[in-house]
Amino acid sequence: MNSGQAQKTVGAVMVVGGGIAGMQSALDLASAGFYVYLVEASPAIGGTMAQLDKTFPTNDCSMCILSPKLVEVGRHTNIELLTLSEVQSVSGEAGNFEVTVFQSPRYIDMDRCMGCGTCAEKCPKRIVDFYNAGLSKRKAAYLPYPQAVPLKYVIDSKRCIYFQKGGRCKACQKFCPTGAVNFEDKARVRKIRVGAMILCPGFVPYSPLKCDTFFYGRHPNVVTSLEFERILSASGPYQGHLVRPSDQKEPERIAWLQCVGSRDSHHGANGYCSTVCCTYAIKQTLIAKEHSTGALDAAIFYIDIRTQGKDFEKCYVRAREEGIRFVKSKITSLMPGDDTANLMIRYTDAMGRRVEEEFDMVVLSVGLSVRKDTVLLAEKLDIALDPYYFAATSNFRPVETSRPGIYVCGVFQGPKDIPDSVMQASAAACVAGSRLATARGTLAREKPSVSERIVAGEPPRVGVFVCNCGVNIGGIVRVPEVAAYAKTLPYVAYVEENLFTCSQDTQDKIGEVIRDHGLNRIVVAACSPRTHEPLFRETLTQAGLNKYLFEMANIRNQCSWVHRNDPDAATEKAKDLVRMAVAKAVRLEPLEEVKLDVTQAGLVIGGGLAGMAAALGLADQGFPVHLVEKEKALGGHGNKLAKTWKGEDIGAFVAEMVQRVKSHPLISVHLESTVVEAEGFVGNFRSTIKIGKETEVVEHGAVIIAIGAHQLKPNEYHFGRHPNIFASLDLDRAIETDPERFKNVKGAVFIQCVGSREPQRPYCSKVCCTHSIQSALRLKDLNPDMDIYILFRDIRTYGQREEIYREARSKGIAFVRYSLEEKPQMDILGDKLRVTVMDQMLEVPVQIDADIITLASAIVPPADGKPLSRLYKLAMNEEGFFQEAHAKLRPVDFATDGVYMAGLAHGPKPVEESIAQAQAAAARAAALLASKTICMSTVVAYSHPAYCSGCRTCVDICPFGAASLDAKTGKAQINPAQCKGCGLCVASCRSGALNLKGFDQSQTFAMINEALAS
Amino acid sequence: MLAYRSKIRETARRLLTDHQVDAVIGFKKGTVPMMCQPVLITRPEDVDMLHWDSFCGVNLANYLPKRQGRIAVVAKGCDARNIVVHILENQIKRDQVFVMGIPCKGMVDRRKITRALKDQDILEVTEGADTIVAKGNSFDMPFNKADVLQDNCAICIHRNPVIYDELMGDPVPEQEGVDRYADVRAVESMGADERSKHFQDLVASCIRCYACRDACPLCYCPTCFVDESRPQWLGKSIDPTDTLTFHLLRAFHCAGRCTDCGACERACPMGIKVRRFTKKLEKDVLELYNYEAGMSLETRPPLDVYRPDDPGDFIA
Amino acid sequence: MKGWEPKIIAFLCNWCSYSAADLAGVSRLAYPSNIRVIRIPCTGRMSPKFILNAFRHGADGVWVSGCHPGECHYLEGNYYARRKFALLKNFLEHIGIEPGRLWFSWISSSEATKFVDMANMVNDKVKALGPAKHLIKTRARV
Repeated sequence: MNSGQAQKTVGAVMVVGGGIAGMQSALDLASAGFYVYLVEASPAIGGTMAQLDKTFPTNDCSMCILSPKLVEVGRHTNIELLTLSEVQSVSGEAGNFEVTVFQSPRYIDMDRCMGCGTCAEKCPKRIVDFYNAGLSKRKAAYLPYPQAVPLKYVIDSKRCIYFQKGGRCKACQKFCPTGAVNFEDKARVRKIRVGAMILCPGFVPYSPLKCDTFFYGRHPNVVTSLEFERILSASGPYQGHLVRPSDQKEPERIAWLQCVGSRDSHHGANGYCSTVCCTYAIKQTLIAKEHSTGALDAAIFYIDIRTQGKDFEKCYVRAREEGIRFVKSKITSLMPGDDTANLMIRYTDAMGRRVEEEFDMVVLSVGLSVRKDTVLLAEKLDIALDPYYFAATSNFRPVETSRPGIYVCGVFQGPKDIPDSVMQASAAACVAGSRLATARGTLAREKPSVSERIVAGEPPRVGVFVCNCGVNIGGIVRVPEVAAYAKTLPYVAYVEENLFTCSQDTQDKIGEVIRDHGLNRIVVAACSPRTHEPLFRETLTQAGLNKYLFEMANIRNQCSWVHRNDPDAATEKAKDLVRMAVAKAVRLEPLEEVKLDVTQAGLVIGGGLAGMAAALGLADQGFPVHLVEKEKALGGHGNKLAKTWKGEDIGAFVAEMVQRVKSHPLISVHLESTVVEAEGFVGNFRSTIKIGKETEVVEHGAVIIAIGAHQLKPNEYHFGRHPNIFASLDLDRAIETDPERFKNVKGAVFIQCVGSREPQRPYCSKVCCTHSIQSALRLKDLNPDMDIYILFRDIRTYGQREEIYREARSKGIAFVRYSLEEKPQMDILGDKLRVTVMDQMLEVPVQIDADIITLASAIVPPADGKPLSRLYKLAMNEEGFFQEAHAKLRPVDFATDGVYMAGLAHGPKPVEESIAQAQAAAARAAALLASKTICMSTVVAYSHPAYCSGCRTCVDICPFGAASLDAKTGKAQINPAQCKGCGLCVASCRSGALNLKGFDQSQTFAMINEALAS
Repeated sequence: MLAYRSKIRETARRLLTDHQVDAVIGFKKGTVPMMCQPVLITRPEDVDMLHWDSFCGVNLANYLPKRQGRIAVVAKGCDARNIVVHILENQIKRDQVFVMGIPCKGMVDRRKITRALKDQDILEVTEGADTIVAKGNSFDMPFNKADVLQDNCAICIHRNPVIYDELMGDPVPEQEGVDRYADVRAVESMGADERSKHFQDLVASCIRCYACRDACPLCYCPTCFVDESRPQWLGKSIDPTDTLTFHLLRAFHCAGRCTDCGACERACPMGIKVRRFTKKLEKDVLELYNYEAGMSLETRPPLDVYRPDDPGDFIA
Repeated sequence: MKGWEPKIIAFLCNWCSYSAADLAGVSRLAYPSNIRVIRIPCTGRMSPKFILNAFRHGADGVWVSGCHPGECHYLEGNYYARRKFALLKNFLEHIGIEPGRLWFSWISSSEATKFVDMANMVNDKVKALGPAKHLIKTRARV
């Protein structure tokens, strides 16, 4: 603090940008005891993700996974939404900023608007719908998209007749049933005090209008990838039918052109790689193929396929297996075809041949650019930008802008996909939380607790809500018929059908109906309980009904979506599913949640960069941390790395970090230690650390696993048989220890993908392309005359790393492409090494004599992952990397509560991503530790001692040690804190003494009987 | 048989006199020929009630669950295996039981004798080493014991007790080359409809008296599933499906635990061959998991454990 | 009206097979509409009673599916279940339930295609067997 003014640290944060990154930052901070202002320029949060159809690599429905988060943000007590708002200026400094926010008028009173849509219906003005990427029309009074949060309409004053034609029209106002339309609404300026800011304003897709070679804007069947995303979407302009804009016929041949506006240093384009386009294009081809009724010819024209993210390579492999054509090429022209609705593509293929092909439709895989508004915002906030207008950050502090107290995440920090954005969002929450640790809880509000209505003794009164899910359900299943049928079922007291049962307004409505109709059981017939059960349960809680009096019928994923060709059968099945759900609901009992104290300390396993960053992230937020490292020293691979691709000195950074860790009063470092035993559960772990011959038991509420990974020791290319054949990390070290040795090297060869992207290891190791180019540039520095060859399959210098690829080529480093089928051959000829590689272009073998050869070998999963996975019950993927709970939205959480992951143990990644992930893990852990108490799962087994024969089977088989025999009575008892609710003991109990809450015998029997009753 | 009887009495007297046990469970001679009843004695002066002959088929392990104190029990090969099962299943502790082990040559099925004598009244039965002689008013019929053994005894290969504290006689040779599963295979060779009919016919005469369950040492649940009321899913009448379900699930509950002691069949007043159900499971458990119930105190019952490489070809 | 269609009950574990069924939906993969899914937390929860009860109430086929061995969300539930299932399947077939009425599978959450293939296969096999005949409780519905 300057000038001696004791400024108070403010326990509030402003998050600018309400896309998925901003939502995640807001949720993490709000859960960790900070008050959050979420500032969004548009009328609703959700960002680009709300426009996507599916998300790679799992092809989850984007809206399905986003929607619960939207609602969570919308209803969080400690998140204040400021829509249609922009930051005007900021004064003050880290810890105590004053932000001026300009809020544009909505012309709709948010308190009065019921979201009924009458205003939009009556509005006579039709304009282009940006949500559908301009492919359809909407009204001037509109809702951005059906699941929008807040679910409030807005009037687009720039296009509204009233505003443009001087006070005429007013149709919306006339018809609005609640008098919510207010043409007098004025802009507001608010001054808000916050301790920190997080910027996540997102991106704008590159506009191909800037470059007329693609005929975009001049030919209806040339669309951008975002437009194509809307075409694929069931809520899009064509209801998910694969048709092209010109004639709405199904295309049989679609071409995807990659790198439109990316990796292009021409004027108007972006020099960097947009990172996500290759994988999204692959996703789109696969989904288009699914939507297609015939044999769709889908071709991707590309320079390099960059599927470097976790499990993306498998998606690429699958696409090739499913017949997607991948054409390595340079597009020379794109013209309307002989049939002018079609398009003729001329290109040069990998062999240098000129080829011409006709397609029915062309998708331009456009890149991600920073918005102009964002650049202006950066100026107002005085934060530094890189040459491409991304926020300038250090690889060691990936979410910190040049101005203290202002953090960044998502695409504004650099082009990236959803999981990396979510990770950075949590990381930003961690860093902001650390800065404001002393003010935690000072502004946060307690959630008002709704007292629970006692329903014991009441006869069941079931409310059934049948969802249309837009057209996802209602387009196939005859929802009104299902609703009418539900009314005939026993105990059903109320039935309603909804357009979107998950939308905010329906949630509110359900609450009202529960109260007004005295309902005591709720059935929602909609999508999957796996995604939406928590949301609806929360609604019950808010309405004062025990949240376990709820059941879902999955009439979308397991009905309308899979029986699209048979609406009759789908409707009958939906009725059956509703009947089964009602039968179960009638038998549900209220369950009580047990609260347990949280041990407010963390355990971090692994003392590499990720482990140290995680430990510091937690400790800086005020939580004691045990850091366990099996080696003698902290630092991990950080000790072996020279520089980041931005040229920052990793050694110096590691040394500084080790110093901070060792001197931090809240961090206990255990070197040469391993965790050998663990018991307990989220909030209450007890782990035994073996330190030499001694053991120490530590208690902690959360665990962060950051045990790193290894570099593969290759068993090909004569590795280990010649001193001048290096693995990449060894080359770094050799150069650093003896640079002179390399000054006389005449020829150097790098071989990429050694052990990666092969059938036995079907993943990309992500860092090797950048690393080899970096090393090659270093060698060029030492000897500018050195002949350097990089033998590659695809160069994957994603994001701004593309710069060093360009630099390498400009410095004469030769890049030779090889294929998996024809790997390079290597011979040791005395002192010399000779590499023979089949040149793809010339189709002849090329011999390269080299003094040194570097093998960019794979990152392989940690050997000690297995034992840890057993100790803490953690999932791993097929390759042995730890498996996150959700590939998109929970990238640092394990499915096991209270356990988080960071760094290479989760999958290959560079330093900056490891650090961000570690900080993200710390934020997630901090949100848990800050809560002091947690509710235990109530879906647990319980015993009826009178039925128990004391046979001890349950005790023997319970994988979690939750069952025991009462010392006095000898009867079985289940510890609810340890029980995971699997029901194994229940099914194994011959005496019928055990049952499982939520899946009990009478409920299951009722469902079986009803399923067969029709 | 006489030697066993005196050894049983002598041992029982000693154990009770020395207060090594609180009670002895054995047999006393019944009031009609070929019937012996279980008896529990606590006083040394009562030991002469104890009896032993080839009609002591009841499985005395059935009387052990949840008993307090120390108890001596007379146990044939199968009974001893059931004691092992009880110990594994926490129904009694090993140090509570004094096993008076009977090396057994098999129990006689009185129904086979009465059937051979066409239900004429038998007044007296005398037993020799390998023969039985049944006397009535108008007959004096010798039987080869081997011909009138209980079905399960005829195929028994564990006649000597697996655990005991004292043997009541010298070990007997185990039967070799016995075909234990001929009846199971006979069913296995049938088609589905024929099998279904076979089992429907088998239980057609069942009167749901639950004598099989009550005689079975494994059926120690405080409430049997047939009496379950949450929900009451199994009808209590003699509906054929309900009856069959009862037998199926009872047998399934015995999977990996049944020692084929024959108590169920012996107890059935309708002469239903209830072991047809249990033996299929016994055979499968042996073939799939190489497990025979009650043979060792060291290994857990087969449904309480697993191996990662258990047979799983039936799962797609 | 189409001809006779079998009634099939599928018990799917929440973590893998139920999720695969969800994914089949997301991927719009079609399969027969006569399968009724009951969600269970884990195949370890499968009481033999559930299967018996389904057949007793006239199910023409029963299909139980969970996580692959080694992938159980609850670590070991499917291993224990596998033993129960092996014995139960053999036993039910022994007493006259035709082979082809009771099915088991391991389907992970990403295996939507396997889920659909399996659904088709179970449906085909059960259909070929015709309506269930054995172990049906004819009169009363409980």
